[in-house]
Amino acid sequence: MSVVEAAAPGANSADAAASLAVDDLHVAFAGNHVLQGVDLRFTPGFNGLIGPNGAGKTTVFNVISGYVRNNQGNIRLHGEDVLHMSRTQRVKAGIGRTFQAPRLILDATVMENTLLGRHHLFRWGHFAELLLLPQQRREETQARQICMNMLDRFGLADMAHEDAGALSLGSQKLVEVARALVADPTVVLLDEPAAGLGADDVTVLLRGLREIQAERNLCVIIIEHDLQLVTSLCPKISVLHFGEIISEGSPEHVTSDPAVIEAYLGHGFEMEEGGEIHEVEGPLSEHHHIDHVEEESTLEEVWTDDDAPEQEEPS
Amino acid sequence: MSTSTIPPRPLYPPSPPGIARYREQFTTLGIFLFLGFLPWIPIFGWVDIFDTSNNFGRGNLAFVFAYGAAAVGFNLLVGYSGTLGLAVAGLFAIGAYGTAILTAPSGVREAQVGYDWPFFLSLPVVCIAAAIIGVVIGFPAARLKGFFLAIATLALGDLIIKIISLDEKVWSGLKTNGGTGKQVPQFRIPGLDRELSYYMLSLGALFVAMVAYAILTNRRLGRTLKAVRDIDIATGPLGISSTYYKLVAFGLSAFAAALGGAMWAQNISFAQPATFETDMLVFLLVVLIVGGLSHKWGPLIGAIIFVYLRQELQSTRKLLFLILGIILMLAVLILPSGVASLPKRFRDSRWAKDLQRRLETLTDFSL
Repeated sequence: MSVVEAAAPGANSADAAASLAVDDLHVAFAGNHVLQGVDLRFTPGFNGLIGPNGAGKTTVFNVISGYVRNNQGNIRLHGEDVLHMSRTQRVKAGIGRTFQAPRLILDATVMENTLLGRHHLFRWGHFAELLLLPQQRREETQARQICMNMLDRFGLADMAHEDAGALSLGSQKLVEVARALVADPTVVLLDEPAAGLGADDVTVLLRGLREIQAERNLCVIIIEHDLQLVTSLCPKISVLHFGEIISEGSPEHVTSDPAVIEAYLGHGFEMEEGGEIHEVEGPLSEHHHIDHVEEESTLEEVWTDDDAPEQEEPS
Repeated sequence: MSTSTIPPRPLYPPSPPGIARYREQFTTLGIFLFLGFLPWIPIFGWVDIFDTSNNFGRGNLAFVFAYGAAAVGFNLLVGYSGTLGLAVAGLFAIGAYGTAILTAPSGVREAQVGYDWPFFLSLPVVCIAAAIIGVVIGFPAARLKGFFLAIATLALGDLIIKIISLDEKVWSGLKTNGGTGKQVPQFRIPGLDRELSYYMLSLGALFVAMVAYAILTNRRLGRTLKAVRDIDIATGPLGISSTYYKLVAFGLSAFAAALGGAMWAQNISFAQPATFETDMLVFLLVVLIVGGLSHKWGPLIGAIIFVYLRQELQSTRKLLFLILGIILMLAVLILPSGVASLPKRFRDSRWAKDLQRRLETLTDFSL
């Protein structure tokens, strides 16, 4: 890390401040190029990663957390190369993540599920456990206290000793976020944490995330389809489309970027003020209706519209 | 952390106050004490096979405990970590042959020669050696899943038995006496007669295995193994190496299998490679699945059922396998969680709840 900094003193201050830096990431699945040279800088705070379905957002997460091998490029966590680490080493280095669908042990309690995130921090081994050593017991109690505090922040403390399978999908996703956070990560990857959550669950989730982010100066990276949530939470948003970053910057900048609108709607589509879409001739940028699209509310409605037209292959 | 004025919340699941909290421990201890005194209080005299007033019944129960001890480890591997490792028969054979060879006297005729170790020294050595072999078997297997894992471990377990049955001329240092079989020198607890001594030894082995199982599965290891079983793919971002924990499960199950095997050898007093081929695996699978996967009492209940059937159908071996096959199928179809889950199934049934409600209204005199 120091070598890199010394080589380019102050040349790239954004790089030095970045918790997680992704450089020129290429991933191909059997010739299908999913990521084609993705450069991303994630700084402490909330970072949004958005894009249409199949853009490669989850693939970025999968490469960072070690599920998918990249063909090219590198990833550094606080200046340290991540790609040579195993999945468990990455967790110890400080990368936490959640999955789109919650992955909990359904016949274990919420507390036990949350404790799983803490396991790699236990100092006493399983032999101490077998001998019922008091030190091991104390450590377990401490871990339970930390987990309980975390569950409390997400409004789950009262359900701590209920089976995770008895919880609603929204609560299960909250448990997963809590489990990722008790591991004391420095970078957390949240894959659609708010999908399937009720309005009050989203409020709880955002409040908890904001509190913890502020306390620990966490770097939180969120993939999310709910544009309103992303724009209100993340000061910096990156838009991924067909494996390339097409826009990056503040929410205002991103939502008004013609390239983003084109990515979501495709060529030759326009949007009326009511959010209704119909096909027109010629590329969107040439069309005078572009002004209407700049309004955030209009785009959002399209964004969450399940019947949005299929994207065309970019030329 | 800024946890300023949060009222203290229970960190452990709520438990009844006072001594009632240890109900489960007392139940376990009580059952083992009962089994320990069973030879002197033969209340199962009406079942010939388990009539503990005579040596036949005691011997059968000793088999129950030996199979049970091996199945406890098998349960940890299959029931808890969800890894279908089928090398258990081979590891069972290592326990049987290992103790036989180590404790055999050194100055006898070629075929039955051994190292003349005391029994209680050979037992932990053999079990630890089996655990190491279990981990070695687990190494290639932990990267496989489901069907492929089962086939790979089945082959590796069979390989152990093939090595054991190697001829003296091929590997003279092995001392397993090839396919002929090996006499097992019998250890006797001072003051007890032969059958009673095996009975107590096997019961002790089952007790050790079950206590270790209960402690480990209720704590961190149990949670981790459950995670490996249920959310294998998601264990990476939790900092849990599923390969490592599968190997731990392989090692522990091999330890218990060897322990059970050593006890089994004590009872049967003659170890022969043919006994450990596929039959033994089927037996242990029946014990495990009919008893109840990932249930503490499953192995013991399964072993009782299995030993009963085997003794009942001893004269007709083909019929035994036919009936075992039917029972295994029925268990998978009707009682996937085994006989041990019956009480819970009954308690959760609508019929039982209805009965309970009626009883409550009957005994409600506050009208």
